[in-house]
Amino acid sequence: MPRRINLAEKLTQLRSFYHQEGRPPSYAEMAALFGYASKAAVYGPVEKLIDLGYLQRSGNGQIVFTSKITSQISVLGTIQAGFPSPAEEEMLDTMSLDEFLVARPEATYLLTVSGDSMIDAGIHPGDLVLVEKGGTPKQEDIIIAQVDGEWTMKYFGKDKTGVYLDPANPAYSRIRPRSSLSVGGIVRAVIRKYK
Amino acid sequence: MNPKYSPLMLSSFPRAIAHVDGDAFFTSVEQAIHPSLKGHPVVTGKERGIIACASYEAKAMGIKRGVSLWDAKKIYPRLVVLPSDYETYSIFSKRMFEIMRRYTPEVEEYSIDEGFADLTGMRQVFRKSYSDIAADMQTVIQHELNITVSIGLSLTKSLSKIGSDFRKPNGLTPVAGKHIHLFLQRVPLADVWGLGLNRVKFLQKYGLKTAWDYINCDARWIRKMLHKPGFEIWQELRGTAVMPLSTDAWRPVASVSKSKTFAAPSRDRDFIYAKLIRNFESAFIKLRRHRMRVSELSVSLRRKDYGEAGLRTRLDHAVTTVQEVTPIVRELFNCLYFSDADYRATGVVLGRLEDDRCRQFDLFEDTARIAQARRVGELIENVNGRYGKHRIFLATGLYMNGRKQHDRDQPCWRKTTLLKDETVRKRIKIPLLDILI
Repeated sequence: MPRRINLAEKLTQLRSFYHQEGRPPSYAEMAALFGYASKAAVYGPVEKLIDLGYLQRSGNGQIVFTSKITSQISVLGTIQAGFPSPAEEEMLDTMSLDEFLVARPEATYLLTVSGDSMIDAGIHPGDLVLVEKGGTPKQEDIIIAQVDGEWTMKYFGKDKTGVYLDPANPAYSRIRPRSSLSVGGIVRAVIRKYK
Repeated sequence: MNPKYSPLMLSSFPRAIAHVDGDAFFTSVEQAIHPSLKGHPVVTGKERGIIACASYEAKAMGIKRGVSLWDAKKIYPRLVVLPSDYETYSIFSKRMFEIMRRYTPEVEEYSIDEGFADLTGMRQVFRKSYSDIAADMQTVIQHELNITVSIGLSLTKSLSKIGSDFRKPNGLTPVAGKHIHLFLQRVPLADVWGLGLNRVKFLQKYGLKTAWDYINCDARWIRKMLHKPGFEIWQELRGTAVMPLSTDAWRPVASVSKSKTFAAPSRDRDFIYAKLIRNFESAFIKLRRHRMRVSELSVSLRRKDYGEAGLRTRLDHAVTTVQEVTPIVRELFNCLYFSDADYRATGVVLGRLEDDRCRQFDLFEDTARIAQARRVGELIENVNGRYGKHRIFLATGLYMNGRKQHDRDQPCWRKTTLLKDETVRKRIKIPLLDILI
């Protein structure tokens, strides 16, 4: 079986070395960094990283970092020594569905919708909404708010008279808070999962 | 000049350490996710039959930790008693520490509801005084998490810890270096972090009453009487920081314990043993989650009259699976169990834990057998990871069957309000709000 080299791990180690020292390590230092007993063992991963363009050999045989290590942060997967897989590297600039839906993870909450007052905005009973707390709502934001003691989800708006809340359903009408309005959060996304 | 009015130092904040303490944390989180509970007396701990945390509304009625649920219900019959939802509390806890980290990278997660933040040097970044930075932290936590925290701000961990307790709830207590002497005169000895009941009683015999009396003792006397810990407190209270912040989010686990009370006391040998083994199974699941192995076991049985007997044993090698310890557990159990007594609970502790990511085999160990036990253990772990805890269990567990679960075992709201495709074992890591819209 060919030896498996975790290049991503090596890259992380090289990056943190670069951040601490501001220079590329020597072969001896790399051996210590990778946990190898001999300098010769370092040769394998170094050759791989030179092939991939992370390292270069300078005129006097010293190892130099390319901008791939010194600038952006990227992660490589484990590859079988022999055939580097380009797939992992190509996916570096992708984000998870989590990152896509949740901009501020500390302030985001889930809420199940039960009413139909926002149905024309595409929010149906049973849908999940992602609500962000702590922000100030802007015109046309969909917000969760407690109006005169009752919780509701509506379009937020402001005019000369003051704050109003608009439904997205002709069966309901505009609300103007009589005594109190407290904003519970701003709706940032709707999730509906089909079978 | 009267020493009472002479400051310990002239500077204000040569260092600035904030102690952020959640106000009635568990119940505050419950009130944040169930807004309908705001303003009502709420307690958590239903599943254990005790009050784990009482909201400020409940505290005002005299319902607090230590009061029995039965007495609490007598004080206020409409009291809301909730089973603990540690998953949601932990999410809120992590979020609180993340918000603190927006202000400084040096944050110590001291416990689920309190932490330290070293703000020293951050004034120039935020162009604000330390008090204003702390106040910002407090406001943001309240806006984003909908819970309140109390903050103490001072030169050392000990001083800021006393500070956060000084005004509660939603308090902010900055103690500048030049005000330490005035502050400590108002702090009774019992409120000093690290001085337990015994030490306080001891100090009172020498006529000491306040923290200020304590720092005015001779350093040599403190060292002699209370040794190094007492001297460290003495230094910290005088504004010299000697306790560092431990900023790693993950602290090594020192021990794992599991204890469960039966629905009704029992003297059935097989049943009690089955319960004990189940505790071990649960403890080992936790152990494996932390990738540790164990070389010390404790077993305890609690009788109906709350008398308790326990035994502890060292293993000749560290183990990772419950199968490897059952013979020893059986022996310990046989020493502890008497057929003429009723028992109400069993408990286990796994001690002397070590990291399992590297391993040195002993010359005399039966490595083949150990490797086999590990393989079986990993297999069970995988199956249970996929199909739910305790799907595969040791056959002794069969003796637990047929017994009704206690009503105290009722799960929390979040575990009964599952979203599509969530299971009792796995839910989305975002708090769900209990609001009808």
